[in-house]
Amino acid sequence: MLRIIATIRKEWLLLRRDKAGLALLFAMPLVLITVMALIQDAPFRDYQEVQFDILTVDKDQGRLGRYIREGLQASGQFQVIDSLNGQPVSEEAAKEMVGEGKYKISITIPKGATAEIVSNANKIVNDISKRMGLPAQLPVKALSNDSLAVQLYFDPAAKKAFKSAIHQALDNFLTQVETDLLLERIQLQLRNRDSTQQDTFPAIRLKAVALRETSVGEGKQIDVISNSVQHNVPAWSIFAMFFIVIPIAGNMIREREDGSLVRMKLIPGNYLSVLSGKLLFFVGICIVQFYLMIMVGLYLLPQLGLPQLQLGVDHLAGFLVAASIGVTATAYGILIGSVFKTPNQALNFGAVSIVILSAIGGIWIPLEIMPEAMQHIGRLSPLSWGLDAINDVYLRNGHIRYVLPDLAKLLCCGGAMLVIAAMVEQRRIG
Amino acid sequence: MNSIAVKDLQKTYAGALTPSLQGLSCTFAEGTIAGLLGPNGAGKTTTISILCGLVEPTGGTAEIFGIPQTPANREAIKRAIGVVPQQIALFPQLTAYENLRYFGNLYGFSGRPLREKIMQHLEAFGLEKAAHKETGRFSGGMKRRANIIASILHEPKLLVLDEPTAGVDVQSRSMILQFLREYNAKGNSVIYTSHLLEEAEQICEEVAIIDEGKLVTQGAPSDLIGRHAHCRNLEDVFLHYTGHAVRD
Repeated sequence: MLRIIATIRKEWLLLRRDKAGLALLFAMPLVLITVMALIQDAPFRDYQEVQFDILTVDKDQGRLGRYIREGLQASGQFQVIDSLNGQPVSEEAAKEMVGEGKYKISITIPKGATAEIVSNANKIVNDISKRMGLPAQLPVKALSNDSLAVQLYFDPAAKKAFKSAIHQALDNFLTQVETDLLLERIQLQLRNRDSTQQDTFPAIRLKAVALRETSVGEGKQIDVISNSVQHNVPAWSIFAMFFIVIPIAGNMIREREDGSLVRMKLIPGNYLSVLSGKLLFFVGICIVQFYLMIMVGLYLLPQLGLPQLQLGVDHLAGFLVAASIGVTATAYGILIGSVFKTPNQALNFGAVSIVILSAIGGIWIPLEIMPEAMQHIGRLSPLSWGLDAINDVYLRNGHIRYVLPDLAKLLCCGGAMLVIAAMVEQRRIG
Repeated sequence: MNSIAVKDLQKTYAGALTPSLQGLSCTFAEGTIAGLLGPNGAGKTTTISILCGLVEPTGGTAEIFGIPQTPANREAIKRAIGVVPQQIALFPQLTAYENLRYFGNLYGFSGRPLREKIMQHLEAFGLEKAAHKETGRFSGGMKRRANIIASILHEPKLLVLDEPTAGVDVQSRSMILQFLREYNAKGNSVIYTSHLLEEAEQICEEVAIIDEGKLVTQGAPSDLIGRHAHCRNLEDVFLHYTGHAVRD
């Protein structure tokens, strides 16, 4: 125990006097997390909190235009603009401004669109009435050769997903208007048939079955995963924790080069106790790093206008995940420090390998949106196990049993790396 | 009893074209100051590494105070032996006191006894005023002295020093040699390697000259000098056995 405590104290003194190392371990990750959360906030908000201006040109001035305007406004994501400088927007001007990228989208509702929908509804009701032996009384327009269409103009730089979402929303509004008008016409026809029951005639309910979203977690916010803080803080914390391989590997190679490793091995007692002290110290540093970064998500980022990080319900599980990631990261540092002969080799390999493991492990972008083959490869990255476990705790409100498989993978991987490092060291003695 | 005894010691490192040791055999009596001398690449460091258990020999045996150097005996040998490596095996960011406290802790010492032991050694080596100075800021001589202290905290019966006076000033060298004499006077054995043959001649009771992994001669410096009429000192003896060709 004395050897372990002495090693922890020695490592602490070494780290305390290494200003650059302290900055690398603590200051830089905090800056990284803050910057990444701020930068990625916009893409995460794209379809949720950010309001887009939509130019509307309503040549119809009927119910369709009103439905579209009200529907878009009600979604909370769009600000409908139908006049600029007190003048109604023309279709040409709207097209030009969208083309220049000043607006993301413009919608033109053609003249007579509502009348066309009404006429179509009347035609359907007349057809049904005729088949039922009732008189067809509703007025129908003569068939037109030109089918009317709501015209959309998109900013050429608009994302495909954004276009698709707009198409879907407008299609919804069109269907809604058409359905509403059809139902109205049916009611009207029925009233005309029996005017005595006009007042008691029941309204036709449009939606018999509704949609309802319920959280599968305990008290979890459904949309929490979709914000920048919730993705970036845990993800980049794991990334930063793995960067501990650089001071560990550098420290081990220096000890080997300056002979202090030889001195430690010449002292009676198992060198494993020295290694355990080193491991415990750096795992402790990883945990401190992790919680410092979590505090950034809890206290600093909300001050910068970002959402507050949600920590789930099982804090012990969160701690165990952080500790397991720390064990794996430290073991990786010890492995690199054992395998490589010079600090330069170790530092370059360490840094590049962490960037690769983090990229494939879903730190930069979620694994789910990667190609299938990459997803399979990514699931082999310890960083992805760590991120999965953190998401289980923070997003799915999971308890320890939810994260046990990932913790087991992390600890087994750490153990395997330590065994390989020991074998490499053993081989050196030969 | 011999402090060390090596017999037919052989070592070929993995990937090496030539063996480092080719059947080295020699013994040093307990309680003496002995010198292990040889040109670069002669096998001195490999021999010391095998004696300490840091390197496994390819063949032959090595004994320390009659205990064979095997994995089973490694701990007992580590307790009996103190090694001063040629490199300054200290943490430069730590002070002399912090370094010595750490290595003392690893030896199992702690608290007041360790503090007193450290301060006593620092004083003996003239480093008491620099106790709380980072060793990275020490002069070459101060580093060498602190390096020795770190190896004698457990008071080993055998002290092995690899070039302990390399790159130090006259005063530091004199202090180190005086310490070795005093340490030996307490009944401890000292084995040291050096390229400074005048120094070896002055301090060693017995020297072994090795070359190309084999023993070429062994004996008291005066005896070795007396064996050859043209040799006036140990350096002449050394050159007689190892030649004038430059070694890499």
